[in-house]
Amino acid sequence: MTAESLAFFFLAAFAVSTAILMVLQRNPVMSAICMIGTFFSLAGLYLLLHAQLLAVLQVVIYTGAIMVLVLFVIMLLNLGDEARLRERYDLAMGVGTVLAAGFVVELFFILFYSGDPALRASMDPRAAALGTVEGMGGALFGRFVLPFEMTSVLLLVAVVGAVVLAKRKG
Amino acid sequence: MASHMLKDAALFLPEIALTVTILAAIVADLIFRRVRAVVPGIVLAGLIATGFLVLGQQGSSVAIFSSMIAVDAFAVYFKLVILLAAVVVVVFSFGSAELQTGGRKLGEYYALLAAAVLGMMLMAGANNLLMMYLALELSSISSYLLSGYTREAADSSEASLKYVIYGALSSGLMLYGISILYGLTGSLDLATINHIVPVVISAGGPPLYGLLIAGILTLAGFGYKISAVPFHFWAPDVYEGAPITITAFLAVASKAGGFAMLIRFLKVTFFDATGVMAAAGTWEAVRGLRWVDLVAILSVLSMTVGNLTAIWQNNLKRLLAYSSIAHAGYMLMGVAVLNDEGIAAVMLYFVIYLFMNLGAFYAVMLIADKTGSEDIDDYKGLGSRAPFLAVALAIFLISLSGLPPTAGFIGKLYLFAALINKGWIWLAIVGALNSVIALYYYVRVIRNMFLRTDEQQSAPLSLSGMQMTMVLALLVPTLLFGLYFGPLVQLAQASVRIFGAP
Amino acid sequence: MEIPLSYYLLLGAILFAIGVVGTLTRRNAIVIFMCIELMLNSVNLSLIAFSAFLGEITGMVTVFFVMAVAAAEAAVGLAIVIALYRNKPTVNVDEINILKW
Repeated sequence: MTAESLAFFFLAAFAVSTAILMVLQRNPVMSAICMIGTFFSLAGLYLLLHAQLLAVLQVVIYTGAIMVLVLFVIMLLNLGDEARLRERYDLAMGVGTVLAAGFVVELFFILFYSGDPALRASMDPRAAALGTVEGMGGALFGRFVLPFEMTSVLLLVAVVGAVVLAKRKG
Repeated sequence: MASHMLKDAALFLPEIALTVTILAAIVADLIFRRVRAVVPGIVLAGLIATGFLVLGQQGSSVAIFSSMIAVDAFAVYFKLVILLAAVVVVVFSFGSAELQTGGRKLGEYYALLAAAVLGMMLMAGANNLLMMYLALELSSISSYLLSGYTREAADSSEASLKYVIYGALSSGLMLYGISILYGLTGSLDLATINHIVPVVISAGGPPLYGLLIAGILTLAGFGYKISAVPFHFWAPDVYEGAPITITAFLAVASKAGGFAMLIRFLKVTFFDATGVMAAAGTWEAVRGLRWVDLVAILSVLSMTVGNLTAIWQNNLKRLLAYSSIAHAGYMLMGVAVLNDEGIAAVMLYFVIYLFMNLGAFYAVMLIADKTGSEDIDDYKGLGSRAPFLAVALAIFLISLSGLPPTAGFIGKLYLFAALINKGWIWLAIVGALNSVIALYYYVRVIRNMFLRTDEQQSAPLSLSGMQMTMVLALLVPTLLFGLYFGPLVQLAQASVRIFGAP
Repeated sequence: MEIPLSYYLLLGAILFAIGVVGTLTRRNAIVIFMCIELMLNSVNLSLIAFSAFLGEITGMVTVFFVMAVAAAEAAVGLAIVIALYRNKPTVNVDEINILKW
């Protein structure tokens, strides 16, 4: 066991267990905190994959912005313990779980019983240069300049729209 | 690099003009708080200017910004359909009583509408899966906000919440499909994927199933946008709960963007350039099942579920929602054909669908503004209270059902002709049976308007000159294209060229 | 040993499946949003893994855009939840059913 594989299995186990806890927790605040755990372990996995910039963004955007917003709304609406919902476990849950499990099993077979060359055993040597700020910046302002600019419109629309909907009186 | 980008930007002028319009609308809204007509005026002018810039792109067939966006006849056609629908909806909105309730400020409404149009125009041209995803999200996020805009009305914000949950779920599924496609082919560019897909297919084995999963998940994203069954669950609630102007906009423009994207995706990505499957046009997903067969299944489901559920509806807005799901099914028949004839038939149908569907929604909006009801039972005796409006609505509904001498008949005729020429006889029969079912619920509305009398003997409804003109502007093409359709057909047939497709 | 690509993909698939199950079974609208974020995150993991093993940057760049879209979607979704809560103090999607079949 190298340090890398040790880190992988630790982070993977942490990510899966916090994700399961997130779905099972009845209190929305606890769910949100479990979710933050998942986000952190994913950031660690991104580092293993040489995606440094994305690992930092993962923490800054998901934990720093999105989850803080979620927690803020939960507390604003006062969805503490008393607002726990009586969750329904019905047909939808059964069907959903079976489908999702089938999906994982199917992928498992595809991945482990295939001699597919596309599913490589080791990382491409070029990967180390991809996820740096330099590598990402070069791509974003080169080939991907149009999507990058369009994202600014998308964020503007989201900001304007969110303010309009959430403010008290027009 | 920089000069290259400037050259590309010249071909991107319509979208740039529309972006400027969005910004101008937001700023103008802050400055001219009290003058109601300023922001809609700016947006209307911006949309029309964008339309002229799009017209200037006729004849070009290139992909710009590293193949992110294609500028071709196909994209131009769909952009014009989307812009025309948007112009009509802006005019509707300006006269809508529903939007004005409670002294609501509408500045941001028009800005968001323009942003949704920008997203849909990008959908029409997107030539890269990343760009498709972003364009879809831009139009979706604007649509979530617009359908919840009348937020004091409980059903509006509920509709919006359902829309955002279903929308986010299906875009998540689509993204998973895109990621598998990327893993198998190493690219998100449609043409590059097309070159590598045959390698994956000929290798066979498990990656083939990966491709199948990826394709189906990606189709889920498109299916949600065009509200095809089984990805339609959001549509009835959103159509009923949203302000009716937005319902009309979603039913026409959003669908146009989704269809443009779906056709380009199927045509460029899964087109078999080697001619092995020449008869089918697309590759087999698995042995014996072609990609177009999946589209045909979606088509049958959408038509049948849409029509059979529409029969039971009492709210006319909701009835039109199910009817629009059924229409997505009819148009998917043309997509299943996927040759030039089939695509031209879909494009022709879209123009006709624009006039008849917007017309029907406008008539429903005018009646709801006056009577306060969208219930079909309240349409009794409308033939005598508002003869002009009732006759107009009847014609729009007859056109939607596809009876001659309206434009709807011509649209269906070309769709069925394309199907039969390609040998999809069973699909044509299912489509014809569905048209008969559809006739039943449309006629029910017409019967209520003309053959049933209103017990309360309500006062006649009067229309302003502006409203009358607007109804006529939608009514005349609905009738005219039923009799004189030559030029429209030629335009559609001339616009089927897709960049990168053989 | 070096971790092969399939391990990352399988982890992504498991997280995705957990997200789907959560979206379908939970009734709290805000928790549903979190489950959808989990789905997007699992997609991000597979995109980055593909990208690193292919030695091609498109996947990582896509993740950048997915993050931006996720932030926008979260802001809009939560604004809608607040707007709805003003009309009717609930976030339970089962109680949000004025509009039925």
